[in-house]
This record gives sequence, C-alpha cells and structure tokens, in this order.
Amino acid sequence: MVADLKGLVDIDQGLLSRRIFIEPDIYQQEMEQIFARCWLFLCHETQIPKPGDYFTTYMGEDPVLVVRDSGGRINAFLNVCAHRGNKLCRAESGNAASFICAYHGWAYSNDGKLQAVPNLKDAYYDDLDQSKWGLTPVAQMDTYNGLIFATFDPDAPPLDDYLGDVKWYLDVFFNRREGGVEVIGGVHKWMAPCNWKLPADNFCGDGYHTGWSHLSAVQSGFGGDFRVKTASAGGKSVATGNGHCILTLGPDDPSDPAVPEILDYEESIAAEVRKRMGPRLDLVKPHVGTLFPNFSMLRSVARVFRVWHPRGPDKTEIWNWVFVDKAAPPEVKEAFRIVALRAFGPGGGFEQDDMDNWQECTQTARGVVSRRYMSNISMGLGHESYDHDLMGWVSDYRLTENNHRHFYDRWAQVMASDSWANL
Amino acid sequence: MRDETIREVEQFLYREARILDNRRFRDWLELLTDDVHYWMPIRSNLYPVNSKAISVLDGSRLEESEVSSDHDLALMDEDKDSLTRRIDRLDTGMAWAEDPPSRTRHIITNIEVEAGDSQDELRVYSNFFMYRTRAETEQDFYIGSREDVLRRVNGQLRVASRKIVLDQTVLLAKNLSNFF
Repeated sequence: MVADLKGLVDIDQGLLSRRIFIEPDIYQQEMEQIFARCWLFLCHETQIPKPGDYFTTYMGEDPVLVVRDSGGRINAFLNVCAHRGNKLCRAESGNAASFICAYHGWAYSNDGKLQAVPNLKDAYYDDLDQSKWGLTPVAQMDTYNGLIFATFDPDAPPLDDYLGDVKWYLDVFFNRREGGVEVIGGVHKWMAPCNWKLPADNFCGDGYHTGWSHLSAVQSGFGGDFRVKTASAGGKSVATGNGHCILTLGPDDPSDPAVPEILDYEESIAAEVRKRMGPRLDLVKPHVGTLFPNFSMLRSVARVFRVWHPRGPDKTEIWNWVFVDKAAPPEVKEAFRIVALRAFGPGGGFEQDDMDNWQECTQTARGVVSRRYMSNISMGLGHESYDHDLMGWVSDYRLTENNHRHFYDRWAQVMASDSWANL
Repeated sequence: MRDETIREVEQFLYREARILDNRRFRDWLELLTDDVHYWMPIRSNLYPVNSKAISVLDGSRLEESEVSSDHDLALMDEDKDSLTRRIDRLDTGMAWAEDPPSRTRHIITNIEVEAGDSQDELRVYSNFFMYRTRAETEQDFYIGSREDVLRRVNGQLRVASRKIVLDQTVLLAKNLSNFF
C-alpha cells in the first residue's frame, strides 16, 4: 500500500478530499488496486462478429487485444509481445488470423499462441519453448448483454456476482428487446484534461448539473424538443451495490430523444418492453449510470455508453459508442445515430460543456492549498434508504449525491482492501 | 478552370474564415445553402491492405475505410437546422465550452477548384489549420482537409456540402465547440 488513504473519503459527512483527483501516488494505487483487479469493459460483441475480428483497447493503462479466434471464441490478451514488450497490434480494429510483432517478427495466432519465431533453429538452437511464450491472457473474461468484460485478477468474483443487482438496469439499456443491441460503426475517442473519476461520478447520477450545465442545450433543442412533454420531476438515484450507480427518471417522465421517428418507435414497442422488463419499469425509468469503476451509459437524450480510460491523474481518454436495439428498423437506427452524435459526442450540444467543468475541478486541485479543502457531496444525506423493489440504496428525491457517495465509498474500500473477501 | 473562378473561390473561403474567426456566426449561416450537409466523419487507425503486421482471415474487413462512412458514427453530421441550434446555444449565455469564448484562427490553404456535378456547382478541396486558444493557456490544433460543394445561388457562392476530415484519430482537444 503506497498512499495514506485516511480521511480522503468521509461518506458519513459527504466530504471528499480533492487530493484523489491529482496526486500521482494515489493514481498509481488506483492502477494496482482498481484497474488491475476490477472487471473492466472491453467492447461490444457486435464489434467483432466474425472469426478473426479484433478490437484493441485498454484496461487501465494496459493495452489489450480483444479478438475472436478462428474457432469463433472471444479472447482478450495483453496487446504486448512476449519477447521484448513491444505493442503487438497497432491498429484499432480489423480482422486477422495472426499478428506479427513489428520489432523482430514473432507471430501469434488469433488464439494467443506463439506461432512462429524467426531464426528459431539457428539463433535459438531450436531451444525455445514456444508454448510458454504466447500472449498473456486476461485472468477472467465474460459477457453480459453482449458487453464484453475482463479482469486481470484471478481472484475477482465472477462477473455475474460483480454486477449483482445492477443487471436488471443493464437489461433496460441493452436487452429490452429480443436480440439486444448493436453498436453503430465507429467509436468517438478524445482526450480530456481531467481525472477519470469526475466523469465517472457525473454519470453515476448527477441530475443536479443537468439543469444548469446543460440548460443551453435543453433550451436550444439538442437531442430533440424537450418542451413537448412536461417532466414530472420524478425519479430516484439507485446504488445497487459494488459501486454501481443508476439515476432514474419517473415512470411518466419523457426519457427518449424527442424526435418523431424515435417517439413513434418507442410507443410501438412500449408494451413489449414492459412485458419483458416487468413491473419494476412502472416505478422508474433508468436514465444514466456508471458501473464501477469506469464504464458509463446513457439512454435519454442519446443512447451511448462510455469508457473513461485513465491517462495519468489529470488526463482521461474518453471512448463513446452509440447503441441501438438490434430489432429497430433502419430509419430508427439512423435517427438514434444522428441524435447521439449531435448531443453526446465531443462536439455534442450537451457534452462539449462537461469537459470544461471536469477539467477545472481537476486542475484547481494542483494547488496545494486548494486541495486541503474537501469537496462537498452531502446533498440529500440521510434522505436515502434501502428499497427492495428497486434493489438498491435509493434517494427520496431525484436530485441527490447519494450515488456519488456510494461510488466513492466503494472506491475507498477497493483502494484499501487487498482481499475480495473483505469487499 | 478559369483563373477568375479560382480567385473567386479563394476569396469566398478566406472571407468565410474571417467571419468565423470574428464569431459572426449568424453571418456565417448565410453562407450556407438551406440544404447544406456539414459532415465531419471519424478517422480510424487501421492497417493498410498490404500490411504484413497481420495475416488476414476474413478479407471483407479490408474494405473498411479509415474515414467512417455516412451511416457510421461521425464527429458532426449537421444540417442547417442543427447548425442553427448550435448557434442559438452560443447565444444563451450558458454555453460553457465557449464562455469565455475560444479565440480561433482558420488558416485555409491548398485550394483546388474543379467542376461540380451540375452547371451551378463547383467541387473545392482545401486544407485547414484551425488554431484554438482559450481561457489562459489552453490551445488546440485542428488540422485536416475539406471537400466542399459550392453552389451559385442568386449569383453568390454558397456552401452546399462540406466534408471535414481531421488528421487525428483520438481527438487531442477536449471538445469540438467551433466550426470548420
């Protein structure tokens, strides 16, 4: 354990040390304790549908190659040549039977086996056990609703347990119709000068910022005309455990991008979705959320999911996918594509303002005096309770920092504990 | 292409750049046709077809372009209405990405003018270097190419479509809050 974590997170008072957004030793400990141990999102199955299809990503700062092998099985490896540590695959996606390292030409098949080593006979005297020098696989890999997750920790609980009660909420995002979802081709990727936790906690359920940060976007009609329906101001924040957090709207609130193709589509499938999702959907409409630590999703003004890749204490590489129901007709998919990129890409009418706030919350913490002061995440403290119907710690009111507190409580636990048994 | 036309196109693009840098966004909208398509696809980092870094299993993926197609995700895919909303947003006094505003400088170069698909249209290629500085020390460099269709409307050149291709795959700026 490197960093002294005492007093960084005070959940009982809703106080958060700003040191956690800037200090390098805390960041390094996050890489070890959180990113080398937790289940992290890799990509969606529909990005690699055929044998040989691959997608390169990161788990924390470790480069990872996700590839469907020639037999159709999905694997994930460190995207690192076993010989000298060179980055093996330098393209972001494609299709391959094998990958050949650019340095000395070691070649790996798409199931990670070391296939060929130049000069094996003369220079190695045929004395290199190739079976021991394949690509390093992740410790565990599993999927939920087509979302591929992996962990580097063999002792981490199974994905199913790790997700726990958040699974129903994930179903509403990614499996509300037969066939689930697919992603639109391409990933938005951009670099934000902020600590990764600020966007992650924002997507946990910062309903508070929407009414001010994004008022300009709402007023000028991004993501559709929100004035067509009046919000009931219902909704709850729901922390289902293990740091996973969902913000919901009230059952009668508008929750879809208000463009005609989408509203008609949503109306046409409402009964089917209600039947599939069950009566819980009469209580809340899941809207935005974060799976601990760095996967987030949104389904109101746009249907997107995100990874916040840490790139040092004060940098985050944001990856953004747009998803649509696989069963939706082409014109509806097109409507979702347009509404998402206009609202929630790096140039989105909503999104472009967020980066400024996350940036400045991070950068002011460079000041040694600024970071002596605690951030305030006390909104709604004491106005939350466990709700069995919603399967989580639920706020009485939709505007609350209940979810922020649960996220950082989990953060502090995972940072401090060396054993999953204690978590 | 007649020199006179080339000069006219150059002057049009320079004037447009000056209008953007002076933040006269309503005036800029007037330079676009009502049916304008303003599109910034995504650039991807892919192996070329002849790369020896991989041996290919399924050749169909090699047909993928490093520039996203029109049904893929894009950084911007706008019409006149959505561009107008972007400018409406800037006028709310709460568009935080532009408050305080960016200071931009559009450098437009490498202009080539070709005949368009119809008598009243021209196909125009150009490169751009858009420098953005903001607040105290923020700076971003947006560099890439544009492919425009300029149409003559009532004797005046107007932008009927613009494809903007940035050279970065991971956008190194924190956002896109300016026009190109």
